[in-house]
Amino acid sequence: MHIAVCIKQIPDPEIAPSLFRVDEDAKQVIVVPGMSPVISPFDEQAVEAALRVRDAMGEEAEVRVTALTIGDESARRILKHVLALGADDAVMMSDPAFADSDGYATAYALSKAIAKLGAVDLVLAGRQAADFDAGMVGPGLAELLGVPAITFARKIDVVDGAVRVVRVLGDGSETVEAPLPALVTVSHEMGNVRNASLRETMRAAKKPVEAWAPADIGVDAGDVGAKAARRTLERLYVPVSDAQCEFVEGDGAQAVASALARRLVEEKIV
Amino acid sequence: MPRKEIEGDWVMGWPDRKRYRLSPSKDQEGRTIHARTPFLELEGLITPTDAYYIVAQLQMPEPVHPDDYSFEIFGEVENPVTYTLGDLRKLPGHTVRAVTECAGDDTEFWDYLESRAKGGNMPKPSRTVREDVEGVDWHGMAESGALDLEELSSLIPATCIVSGGEWTGTRLREVLERVGIKDSAVAIRVEGFDRGRPDPTIQYRSVGRTDFEVHDPGVINYDKGLPIEKAMDSETILAWAHNGEYLTHVHGAPVRMVVPGWAGNWWVKWIHKIEVMDRMPDCYHQTHYFVSGKEPNDPDKEMMTALGVKTVITEPLEEESPLPADTYAIRGLAWSGEGAMVRVEVSTDNGETWNDAHIEEHADRYLWRRWSYLWDAKPGYHTLMSRGTDEEGRRQPVTEWNFQRKHFDGIVPVDIEIE
Repeated sequence: MHIAVCIKQIPDPEIAPSLFRVDEDAKQVIVVPGMSPVISPFDEQAVEAALRVRDAMGEEAEVRVTALTIGDESARRILKHVLALGADDAVMMSDPAFADSDGYATAYALSKAIAKLGAVDLVLAGRQAADFDAGMVGPGLAELLGVPAITFARKIDVVDGAVRVVRVLGDGSETVEAPLPALVTVSHEMGNVRNASLRETMRAAKKPVEAWAPADIGVDAGDVGAKAARRTLERLYVPVSDAQCEFVEGDGAQAVASALARRLVEEKIV
Repeated sequence: MPRKEIEGDWVMGWPDRKRYRLSPSKDQEGRTIHARTPFLELEGLITPTDAYYIVAQLQMPEPVHPDDYSFEIFGEVENPVTYTLGDLRKLPGHTVRAVTECAGDDTEFWDYLESRAKGGNMPKPSRTVREDVEGVDWHGMAESGALDLEELSSLIPATCIVSGGEWTGTRLREVLERVGIKDSAVAIRVEGFDRGRPDPTIQYRSVGRTDFEVHDPGVINYDKGLPIEKAMDSETILAWAHNGEYLTHVHGAPVRMVVPGWAGNWWVKWIHKIEVMDRMPDCYHQTHYFVSGKEPNDPDKEMMTALGVKTVITEPLEEESPLPADTYAIRGLAWSGEGAMVRVEVSTDNGETWNDAHIEEHADRYLWRRWSYLWDAKPGYHTLMSRGTDEEGRRQPVTEWNFQRKHFDGIVPVDIEIE
């Protein structure tokens, strides 16, 4: 069995909001010095989900986990990280032609890369990248691969050639099943991810990271990246939130409550 | 139980042991304001700067450029002087290696030992620094009415607020002698740039209850009044370097005080003023907090100074139990507020009998010492203990229970099952 996990490197979402900046002219996020980018947390949980499936199926199932990413050369770090967690192979697509992909171009390039991997039974991805939070790549990739998509997984089992997924709903969860091959996006309810062990990290150092250019996945440079993007980024900016604090006063709790209710009605909040 | 897996990480591009770093609490600007040291995961005597514990009693101040930095010495002196960092570095240097321990380190162990002695079931406080809960910001909880002491204690145990470091600077004595302190000098009031209104959450957290009034001094600068004898001690220094590098801001740059043997609250950071006084000053963090006494209204409260005598077993730990029958090295650390540790004894039978451990000797009186004892572990349930004695003849424990639960130095048992 072969599982492909799609991961993305993003600016550290734990960065303080006051330090976050964008270059509105270049329409790009400004890299904060000293803050290393990280694997998108949802994607790390997708890796954890793949490793749990492999653990549950046992050695006899010969489950192989391949991680793929599109990003610049620095994204090699997150591939090394997931190899240390236990992934078997890693593929990076850092050719400049892949730069500035939108959701469609990313899904398209990944679909071609997964096709090159051969018989992939299960494709996993985070439910969304934790930078732009679009959540388009997973379902788009399923469409391009022609496989069913199950989103927001909190638990994944592979049983008798099918994937059984407990998926998160707004007010609970539901269990659904699809035949393999299939694509599943993973939510943070999957739970804590494992720590890398020293032994696995040492093993990971010997695992190669394959670098694929557009030609390696059978597409032209013009078919990927910014040239293939269908989205036009009109503006990138940090929204300004304006909070005003008003203390409602009154003589006693009832008077304060009445005054508060009046203010809420005046402001059309209630 | 299988041996705990060694965690891995990428260090300078190579696969390596995970380097333990702080998992700090941060303010809204992303700046670290509190962190504990995972000392059980470390090895050796010097805590790496990136893993050194951080506690600030008031608001952390804004950094001062080293070239713009100066502090003044005034009061009971012949020649009041303003020192720049450059001036200070022209004085004879001195390096000390010492344990820094927060007065509140291990505070919950007071209650744990009492509960255990009475057959209670209070869980043992953890000395594990859990990365997933370290980011909790508890500041201001008391005033917002959101203070839940039990929850706070479980989220951030007051353990692992201890580190060992090397500090380079000049003796405070050098500075004081140059300005000519008068015979009337009794105390050296050292004031930091850090300023704010003391958060009552800190005292409630320390005392473990909220049914008393915390003195409100208003907005103050952090200060301490160091008795003249300790100020003139050859090991008390004004430090500008830490562990081989210039001091970092979170540890008090450009210059902080280092008072080996005394609790961390004496090691005033971000030094702003030094006032030589003919009386002991009324500093909030000396006369209202970090004081001994049996209860908040105790009229006999006194400032707390030197740490007690302490040993900690770092291995084996309960988390590793049960263990197969074998020979194990019981290891740990030992330190005292009054000088070098000269003896550590180990008991493997709940304190019935004691045996001398091997102490790793070194020349630094106030730096902790590593110790070990080979234990031929036979099947059964065993309670391990350690106790230390310092060069002054003080044997652990020396600190009496106090209502703020400071300076814990009790003997903490470790329960191990051997299969």
